[in-house]
Amino acid sequence: MPGIRAAALAAFLLPAAAEAQDLPVVKLFTTGGTIQSLGKDRLKLAEYREGRIDGETIVEAVPEASRLARIEVEAISAVSSTRMGAEQGLPLARQLTEELARPEVAGAIVTHGTTTLEETAYFLHLTVRTAKPIVVIGSMRPWTAVSRDGPLNFLGAVRTVLTPEAGGKGVLVLLNDTIHSARFVTKRHTYHIETFVSPDVGPLGFADADRVVLYRSPVTRHTADTEFDLDGIEELPQVDVVYGYQEASRAPIDALVKEGARGIVLADGSPAYRNAVLEAQAAGVVVVQGSRKGSGRVVLSDRTAARSEITADNLHPQKARILLRLALTRTTDARELQRIFNEY
Amino acid sequence: MSTERAFATAAAALLAGATAAAQEIPPLPPPGIDLPHVVLVSVGGEIATSCETSLERVGCASGGETFAPETWTRDLPDLGLAARIATEDLRAFSRPDGVAAPEHWRGLAERLQQLAGDPGVDGVVVTHGADGIADTAFFLNLVVPTRKPVVLVAAQRPWSAVSGDGPLNLYDAVRVAADPAAAGKGVLVVANQEVHAARDARRTNSYRMDGFGSVDLGPIGVADPDVVRFFTEPTRRHTHRSEFELAGLPESLPAVEIVAAVPDAPGRLIDAAVAAGAKGLVVDGAAGLSGGQLEALRRARDQGIVVVATSATRGGRVPETAALRESGIIPGDNLTPGKARTLLRLALTQTSDPAEIRRFFAEY
Repeated sequence: MPGIRAAALAAFLLPAAAEAQDLPVVKLFTTGGTIQSLGKDRLKLAEYREGRIDGETIVEAVPEASRLARIEVEAISAVSSTRMGAEQGLPLARQLTEELARPEVAGAIVTHGTTTLEETAYFLHLTVRTAKPIVVIGSMRPWTAVSRDGPLNFLGAVRTVLTPEAGGKGVLVLLNDTIHSARFVTKRHTYHIETFVSPDVGPLGFADADRVVLYRSPVTRHTADTEFDLDGIEELPQVDVVYGYQEASRAPIDALVKEGARGIVLADGSPAYRNAVLEAQAAGVVVVQGSRKGSGRVVLSDRTAARSEITADNLHPQKARILLRLALTRTTDARELQRIFNEY
Repeated sequence: MSTERAFATAAAALLAGATAAAQEIPPLPPPGIDLPHVVLVSVGGEIATSCETSLERVGCASGGETFAPETWTRDLPDLGLAARIATEDLRAFSRPDGVAAPEHWRGLAERLQQLAGDPGVDGVVVTHGADGIADTAFFLNLVVPTRKPVVLVAAQRPWSAVSGDGPLNLYDAVRVAADPAAAGKGVLVVANQEVHAARDARRTNSYRMDGFGSVDLGPIGVADPDVVRFFTEPTRRHTHRSEFELAGLPESLPAVEIVAAVPDAPGRLIDAAVAAGAKGLVVDGAAGLSGGQLEALRRARDQGIVVVATSATRGGRVPETAALRESGIIPGDNLTPGKARTLLRLALTQTSDPAEIRRFFAEY
């Protein structure tokens, strides 16, 4: 009788269900991704193009969550994460700000595909002015898979939102019981369960079976303490990433400048980039020096200063791009931009 | 002199010559510039030890000697770039390996409290043997009530070793102690360009350069060549937010012993610890306790002995399970057995109420 045992266990682990109207509200915004995707059969772990489930299906599949909170579902999109961008991110940030201002809302959960999850999470971390928890989740295995991780990631997110210490720590990312800061988290494997890591710093805490623990707080600026303001912003400046490798030609930089990019993030470099960067800078394009190495800061040096290069700290190029887009809504001054990269 | 030793000595002489020629000391700031004031306290350790040759990399083959802290300021005048340095020699507090002897922990903590209480001092660096640095740091983290940076530093290699990590670790520790951003984050451990929180720091390798880590979590910051940067801060209580007071502690802390769970062990060791006067026990790996050990623990608990469990996997917390609750064993969170023992010894100075001790393990 697995059903009865599960119910007994849930009753043991969770407080008795209060009247539904007395429970705190948790907003669930769905954007798509693997967590909502269906495969042909349960052994299809990496192929899942058989349609999607909606947020209500997730909520129904995890009744334990509804004993803790009233879950309000809102569908933003139903796409894979590579199709996500400012087009979805801007309205999502606005809706989150608005919903989290409601006193009865304890916090919000966002489902997302995993490949670019860290980019949307960091964008929200920089733009949603709130002290309430926002937890971005995804899953490594489709909803139909054997040993799927989606339901537990969702339940962990609800429990995290309802944990008082989760407030004021910015946007959190939760998969595999592990709670990361949006500032530091990245996807490090193509499909394993323990894919999300925070290089250089490690996670903030864990949604463990017995309780949610948060050992760390980020000290970089975010959410309630952000200087970025989306009011009146309909689109964000174009910023692209150029990857450095042996014998790389300057063609991508020239093409982006011609196309009207306002900023370029370099993931390491190439000798051929030197003149292309100088010409781009002369044309008013901001160039940020990032690294493709996956951990460690780009160190500020006399050389970078002499070239008025801005360094990306330890932001991965894809996140440096997000920050530069927002920073360019406020300034193009190199010193000011470097301050922003140092503080966020 | 063996051939090997003769070769090592010759190589060391060559290397020393090459080093002197290649390394230029950056210009020191002009006198009178307002640098933070850092006190550099020596409790010894590899970082304060010179061996006969530079190729002795894992301790000294022939029992090298620790040197007085002035050697650092002489060998590494670059420290003056980061802070005005005063040195203090507390090598008497350590065993020969530079590990602060636990009987001197309290004396060390009292001295650090005095130094940190001096309005003229901005931060304190304490050198320590690589082994045991995490345990000393955690004790200090619980009892020294300051917001000022207290930074423990060690080296994996002796000061005299070729490519020794001591000089850079020491320089980085001074920079961290001089950095206002390091304040209020509890006692810190600096090594290998990383800044760790005392609660989570562990020695993770017996002799390689990546010798320290914060298992489960990670460093809270970095001491990079350009700046010291903090990424996170610990949320658990420490230093200025700790309820333990040095002045209120008894002369010797309540006895707590560590017992490893072994599936076929008899309960004799546990009985012996209790008979010898233990007030608490830390069980490493509660899930693997033998029947005999469980029986002995039950007898101990009936006598009011407090039992805390740590995880022998060295990663992850001990979750509060129904089985643990029934047996009255308190989960030791994700602390190492040594740190759980220190916290339990301090907690037992306040209470022996299991509910209250449970709170200590959730808050610290």
